[in-house]
Amino acid sequence: MASLITCPHCGTRPKEEFSIRGAAAPKRPSPTAKDEAWHRYVYVRDNPKGRYQEYWHHVAGCRRFLVVERDNLTHEVFGVTDAAEFERAGAAE
Amino acid sequence: MSINLLHRHVLDDHISGFETDPNPNHLSVIRRPVIFSVLAHAGREAEVAEALWNAEDVAPRFCGPSEWLAVSRTVGAETVAGMLSAIAGASVVDQSDGRVLMEIFGPSVRKILSRCVAVDLHPEVFEEGQSAAMLCCHATANVARTGADTFEIIVPRSLAGSVFEELMEMGREHALTRGFAD
Ligand SMILES: [Zn+2]
Repeated sequence: MASLITCPHCGTRPKEEFSIRGAAAPKRPSPTAKDEAWHRYVYVRDNPKGRYQEYWHHVAGCRRFLVVERDNLTHEVFGVTDAAEFERAGAAE
Repeated sequence: MSINLLHRHVLDDHISGFETDPNPNHLSVIRRPVIFSVLAHAGREAEVAEALWNAEDVAPRFCGPSEWLAVSRTVGAETVAGMLSAIAGASVVDQSDGRVLMEIFGPSVRKILSRCVAVDLHPEVFEEGQSAAMLCCHATANVARTGADTFEIIVPRSLAGSVFEELMEMGREHALTRGFAD
């Protein structure tokens, strides 16, 4: 596992300061979406090997949700962004 | 010195502590600090930060992008409350009863703290005046560098006992002494 994460607010920190909260790529359906869409979102998840976007909560630091893009095979970290920024970037697309 | 050591039991400092006078490496527990938590409303972060950094008699400590602690060892809670509530776009809460402030200093302070935090404390990376929330002795703490060899540590009240014990244990080989300070 990637053991050092560079938080955009706090700097380089050990993984012990974080709590991993799951994949960041799946888009949350609208509240009125069909049950199938919600079922897919909640239960049917990929388990990819390789490059992967994930929510990391900086519990022991700034307490912000971050999106860490990393390779779960080689442990390489490609980038860390604040989840609010990630959300804005996604909405702009 | 060597004669002294012969007469000194290996567990002496465990039982009676080191000298009562502070050694060069010392941990001060501040008796009655004033600690406020300051939160900026959405979109007002920059102006609140600026007002905090310009405020007199309080030292701002960075916690997160819109969150700070304001610490004072010189003025009372009412004064600080009045001053902080004048900052537009911020919510403030008195945390003085819920937090414990400790100051650790001395020539070996970085060696001692390197066993307590997993953050690089080299002065070029963690500069004087810088502060951040981090794990310290397994507790969520706010650590600030207030001098070349001086750090302030703020921990939640309920964790202060275990953090204090661990700091003392890590500082033992550097003859870390401890005491209250005002
Ligand atoms: Zn952080």
